[in-house]
Amino acid sequence: MDRRRVLKSLLVLLGSALSVSLIYPLVRYLAPPSGAEQGGKVTIKKSEVEVGSSKDIVVRNIPAIVINTPEKGFIALSKVCTHLGCLVQYEKSKNRLLCPCHGGVYNLEGTVISGPPPKPLQKFAVKVEGDSVVIG
Amino acid sequence: MVRKIKDWLEVRIGLAEIIRTQLTGYMVPGNINLFYTLGFVALAAFFSQVATGFFLLIYYLPHSEYAFRSVQDIMSRVPYGWLFRMMHAVGSNLMVATVVLHMLSVSYMGSYKKPRELTWVAGAFMLFVTLTFCLSGYLLPWSQLSYWATTIVTSIPAAIPYAGDMIAGTLRGGEMVSGATLNRFFAIHVILLPLLLIFLFGIHLFLVRRIGVSSPPFGRTAPRWRPGTSFRHEDHPDGHPFYPYFVQREMMMVFLYFAAMFFIIAFLPTLFSPDDANTPADPFRTPAHIKPEWYFLPFYQLLKLIPNKLLGIGIQALLAALFIFWPFIDTREEDNILKRPRLLALFAAVVVSWVILTVWGRYS
Ligand code: HEM
Ligand code: FES
Repeated sequence: MDRRRVLKSLLVLLGSALSVSLIYPLVRYLAPPSGAEQGGKVTIKKSEVEVGSSKDIVVRNIPAIVINTPEKGFIALSKVCTHLGCLVQYEKSKNRLLCPCHGGVYNLEGTVISGPPPKPLQKFAVKVEGDSVVIG
Repeated sequence: MVRKIKDWLEVRIGLAEIIRTQLTGYMVPGNINLFYTLGFVALAAFFSQVATGFFLLIYYLPHSEYAFRSVQDIMSRVPYGWLFRMMHAVGSNLMVATVVLHMLSVSYMGSYKKPRELTWVAGAFMLFVTLTFCLSGYLLPWSQLSYWATTIVTSIPAAIPYAGDMIAGTLRGGEMVSGATLNRFFAIHVILLPLLLIFLFGIHLFLVRRIGVSSPPFGRTAPRWRPGTSFRHEDHPDGHPFYPYFVQREMMMVFLYFAAMFFIIAFLPTLFSPDDANTPADPFRTPAHIKPEWYFLPFYQLLKLIPNKLLGIGIQALLAALFIFWPFIDTREEDNILKRPRLLALFAAVVVSWVILTVWGRYS
């Protein structure tokens, strides 16, 4: 190996070490903060949501809805449409959830009935304890 | 691959000619020295400030209720936030130092002389912009230090007759330094000054390239180039190629700059942040010994020494004007300062009084 080649590879080596030691911190810096999405159960009073009505809540930073259905009692679903992320609205009279953006329709289980959404809405666990409802 | 891209560009923009005329065939003086790289280092320093400033903006909140907290969070919670904050804060000090050294070196090389007067004037304004960067950035962390240093500086114009109160009020956005001041300084710091600096730099670089690099008066081999009565580009046919010869030296100095930066971050992290920088701003309590940053100390001490505030401001304004228009005042042709003992004495006197005022301001 000649001198020029050795120096060149040294330069490449140093340059890469330098880039990595700048890029690694940068990737970590820009990554969304972990931990913010964990934990966080939401507790509401049973009396806040009468049979047939609903209430908007936020579970772990996700906009969600609690519905008190006559058939199945309390259910909690994410409102984030699985198509492109708009928020679905509860249509009481039709017993369904409608997405205003591209007309995706879900039933109260979160299953897709029609429209473009590819998967059902995310469901949250619901536990009734005495006169409160714990979601998440 | 590289070959192909080169060929593709060659057909479209005549790449080879650009490389020949602007890089490999662009000659710098044979006796050029390392001081001539300082302008480039200052530019690299500015780009580093822009990049780290952009990253800080991702987490910084420009509001008096949140600013301090958000900067603390950048330092202790956001992964590697401390790195980018320290690079920005230490970098601001080093950038000022670099710009000042650049200015000193063009003074001692006599490079401001005809035909380069305008290059100097543009540069002088760039120094002011750099200092204004620091002044406005200093308020942003909303610490005790930020708050009271800004209170002091924004009171200075109040001594100007008639317009003084209006100027101070406009700067502060009210009677006192407040959240309104923070918002004003923030807008100036992140939008106005960067645009202004880039604009001035465009003029500066255009002039440097159009006129040609000056040959240093020391260690000359070729006979001295003299400006005539009509425009002529100063070229150096038997000098060194800009690329790779000079670019290599520029890169070496840029690495030296960052080495200094990381040395300070690693071994002297508190050099530029006294305790008051880590206490939230409190408009109802002035901390003891509030001192400006080192680069403002000479101005601060001079103002303190002159009993009449208006006279003090007047003298500073006069000094600033002398500085900006210096090439129009020193019009003697001789550019070797060693052959001009009185000029040498003047420059030395300025530097020495600068140092004395700095030390005095620091310890009085
Ligand atoms: C486009 C360019 C820039 C942007 C976007 C920017 C942005 C910021 C931000 C968000 C802060 C507040 C966070 C902090 O205190 O660390 C800050 C602080 C600061 N900036 Fe800049 N900045 C830029 C360029 C500059 C330049 C060129 C200088 C000076 C040479 C400078 C000097 C300062 C100073 C002295 C501080 C206070 C540092 C401290 O004590 O924390 N900035 N800047
Ligand atoms: S985002 Fe809901 S249907 Fe498109």
